[in-house]
Formats: sequence, structure tokens, C-alpha cells
Amino acid sequence: MKIFLICLALPAFLLPAACLLYILWQAWPALSLELITGTVDAIEGQGLSFGSQQALWHQISGSLLMMLLACSLATPIALSIALFHALWASKRQKKMVLSLLQVLQSIPPIVYGLCGLVLLVHLLQWGISLAAGAVILSVIILPLLSSNIIHALERVPFEQSQAALSLGLSHMEMIVRVWLPSAWSGILTGILLAMARALSETAPILFTATVFSGIAWPESLFSPVTSLQTHIFYLAQEGSNAQATQTAWASAAVLLSLVLCLSLTAWFLRRYEESL
Amino acid sequence: MSHIQSQARPQPNQESPSFETITQPSIEIHQLSLILSDKTILHDVSLQIANTGITTLIGPSGAGKSSLLRCFNMLYDHWSGDIKINQQNIKQWQGGGDSLRQHIGLIAQKPSVFPASIYENVIFGLSRKQRKQNQDSWVEQCLIQAALWDEVKDRLQSPACTLSVGQQQRLCLARALALRPSILLLDEPTASLDPRSKQLIENVLQTLAKHIPMLCVTHDLEQAQRLQGEVIFMCDGKIIETGHSSDFFQNPNKLETREFLQWAVCECPSD
Repeated sequence: MKIFLICLALPAFLLPAACLLYILWQAWPALSLELITGTVDAIEGQGLSFGSQQALWHQISGSLLMMLLACSLATPIALSIALFHALWASKRQKKMVLSLLQVLQSIPPIVYGLCGLVLLVHLLQWGISLAAGAVILSVIILPLLSSNIIHALERVPFEQSQAALSLGLSHMEMIVRVWLPSAWSGILTGILLAMARALSETAPILFTATVFSGIAWPESLFSPVTSLQTHIFYLAQEGSNAQATQTAWASAAVLLSLVLCLSLTAWFLRRYEESL
Repeated sequence: MSHIQSQARPQPNQESPSFETITQPSIEIHQLSLILSDKTILHDVSLQIANTGITTLIGPSGAGKSSLLRCFNMLYDHWSGDIKINQQNIKQWQGGGDSLRQHIGLIAQKPSVFPASIYENVIFGLSRKQRKQNQDSWVEQCLIQAALWDEVKDRLQSPACTLSVGQQQRLCLARALALRPSILLLDEPTASLDPRSKQLIENVLQTLAKHIPMLCVTHDLEQAQRLQGEVIFMCDGKIIETGHSSDFFQNPNKLETREFLQWAVCECPSD
């Protein structure tokens, strides 16, 4: 029985590992410092087709910028939802909040992308822009972030909250002086996981924020931006161009390493929190 | 304005801070009823609490003893009736529940220290205004009163979680005392402690009870006798009988009290 279960579970570990190794194997010939630091202008100056060449710096910074903006928008809202859930919600309201978050989490990201296209890009006339992408990404990561912060706050012992209140601390003082110091590592873990999620979303920003070429750095919040995720998508479409395909693999390796860095930091933080 | 409200808040900057300056308040409960989730927890409870010594609340689990304490410091605030301290209804307390709770210390069954140093834990309840010069002597005074000073004086900056459970409970007591409470509520304060720590806490409480009235919930009937104060027996949210510990355990008047005491002796001979 034990061997049977291990055989069933094995693909769950082996497949991602195989994918990771395959990506690294494919990307290896193109991976170099020049891949990240090269400039668009220099490559265009050589008369080579843009995009199939190196210079991922602008795509990386575009992705990181959108991720940071999305997290800055989502974190205060998620924290408010978690505090409402912990402090004021009745049992029924708590169930409703959790169910709603689950429903929001199960909506396919492309649907969010479509909503963003209609509401933000067309109706509000933001156009394809960094702001539209960040807002849509923040909506996508909100349920995950809220759930993580709710669980982090739930791990603060009830007795500590009671002790704080019985010393005459107000709810706000209790949050600032007891809950946040006790739950900071759990909250930070949640933020890091949400960042990793924002960094790996492609479909929603494809409609709302990104362009393939002609943009080095967004001039304002309402300018389009380039991103690593959509860069891979566009390059992969150029299947006949060997150079484009190799750069796509290299971009995928860079994106993976960014997501892995965030996930590993979150994992280490969780280990630290459990050891306390 | 009542005496308690007009009395100075904790003044760590005062010369030689002392607990003996606290004046004992009069405490009355009149027709207190509490309903939680459609269940009556307290039903028309009326009593007067001695303004010195330790008043002990005994009774079976679910009798409403701990709920009564939580009504007292407004952690439960949807009760009906009156709780008066020096003739003032606590529902009309100036500054609301947060201000009231600074006057009413609560020691819970399970010691709960904050993730900070021992020193920080003692002054945790003090506001920035109250944290002034001479704070160190105030911390020392509180720790001495809680019989913890000798054990921690060399490591005040160590994390409070490094203390033993018994020491943590005394730290919680010192933390409550730092606010100069007018009343101390004790919810089974020794239930999670070993016999030595239990004895230490009982000694501390008996010393403090000369200056601060206390209301103590306990399941330990021997402890209720040792504390030598008024005893209140509660059952099903009602007060069944009250009396001084010297008479109460020897000559209980009511049938329910006799049954409970007999049952407690049979079921928990070690208690």
C-alpha cells in the first residue's frame, strides 16, 4: 500500500523537477549577464529583429514594477479584510468572507483580464497601461493575500488579545502592539506568496498593461509597460525563429528564478515562524 | 466624580511608589443578567463584594463565574443590570471600557506574556504619558509586589517567554499591578501551576489583598478555604449561597451547596 501511494505521489514531485531541469537545459546557451543588462537600442542598431535578441532588463523591471504596485494596492485592503474578520465579524459573516475569498480565488485570471479590458482600458479610458495591469493584478492576488493574513492573525494566541484588552488597550493599540509584532512573519510570508503569484500571471496583463516592443520604461502610470511573462508569450509564438525560441527559454528561466526566490524566502520565513 | 476616577493614574515618576495609597472602593452588583447566543449565562445576580480581602467564587463549570468577571471589566458589555464601583455604574464610566479596564486588573488562568522583554511586559499597559522618569523603580516595585524581583532582577531585558509558567503568571500579576488597579479579578490564577508556584501566588495575593479587593474564581475548594475570605457559590448563572470561608465550608445552608461540596470532595479529593 505504502509503495503504491508513493508511486502515485512521485509524479507530483518528478514532473515539476523535470520541467525545471528542461527549462534550464534549454535556456543555458542563452543565459548570460548580457541577457539582462544589454540595451534595446544597441540591439536594434545592429539591425536584428527586436525581441528575439537579448536585453531583458526592461521586461524584468516592468514585471517587478507591476508586481510591487499590485501588492501596494492589495496589502492594505487585505489587511483591512483580515482585521474585520478577526475583530468585528460575526460567525456568519466570517463564513461569508471566507467563502467569498474562495470564490474570487477560483475565477480564471483571464476573466479578470477581460473585466479589466472593458472597465479600466475602455470604460475609464486608462488605455493599455501600467495602472490597469497593477489594479487587475491586485484584484487577482487579493483573495490569496487576505486568506494568508487571516491565517497569520488567527495564529496570535487568543489569551494575548484578552490580556492586551484587559490592560485597557484599545483595539487599535492591540493590533499595533500585539497582533502585528506576533504575526509579522506570517503576514510577510503571505505578501511574498502574493508577489510570486502576481509575477506569474500572464493572461490578465496581456489585455490590460503590456506591449511587446517600443517601450523601455513607462513614462507614467498610464503608459504601457513590457513584462517578462508576456515577452515569453510573444517570443514563443515565433516558433520558426530559433533565436526567439532560445530567448524565450532564457526569459522563462529568469522568471522562474524570480518566482523561486520569492517562494523560498516565504518558505524560510514560515519555518522561522514555526520555530518561534 | 467617583473617588476611583479622580484618583491619580499610575505615576511611575512618583517618589517611592506604593500600593498602600490605594483606597478600597465599594463594589456592588445589582440584578445582573447576561445572555450569550440565546443562552442565559447570568440570571439576576446581586451581591456586594467586600472591599478588602479575597472574595472567592466557586461552583461547577458553566455556572457563570468567569462570565461574571468578564462583565466586570466590560469584556462582555451586553449585560443588563448594574455594576457599581463607588456608586458609579461602570456602563457610564468616563472614557469607556478601555479606561475602566485600566482600573480593573484581570489575571487569566493561562499566563499570557507578550513577545517582549520582562521589563517591557511590566510596563506594557502604561501609556506613553505614564512612562516617565523613575520608571525603573516602579517596575522594581511591581516585581517585588509580585514576588518575582529576586528571580529576574539580573535579566530584565530577557524575553518574557523564557520564564517558567509560574514566573510568567507572577509577571502577569506585576503587569496588572503596574496600572495600580482598584480591583483585581482572578480567573483560576493557579489552575495551570505546580504546587510550589501555586503557594507562591497565594502568598502574594494574600499580601496584596490587604490593599486591593480581589474577586477570585477557583475550582480548588481547599484554596478557597486557604484564602480566608468571603465565598460565593454559583450554579446555573445564579448565586446560591454566600458566607465567610470559616462558616461556609463547615455549615452550608442550602441543599445545592451541600451537594456540590460533597460531590467536590468525592470527585476531587486532592483539590
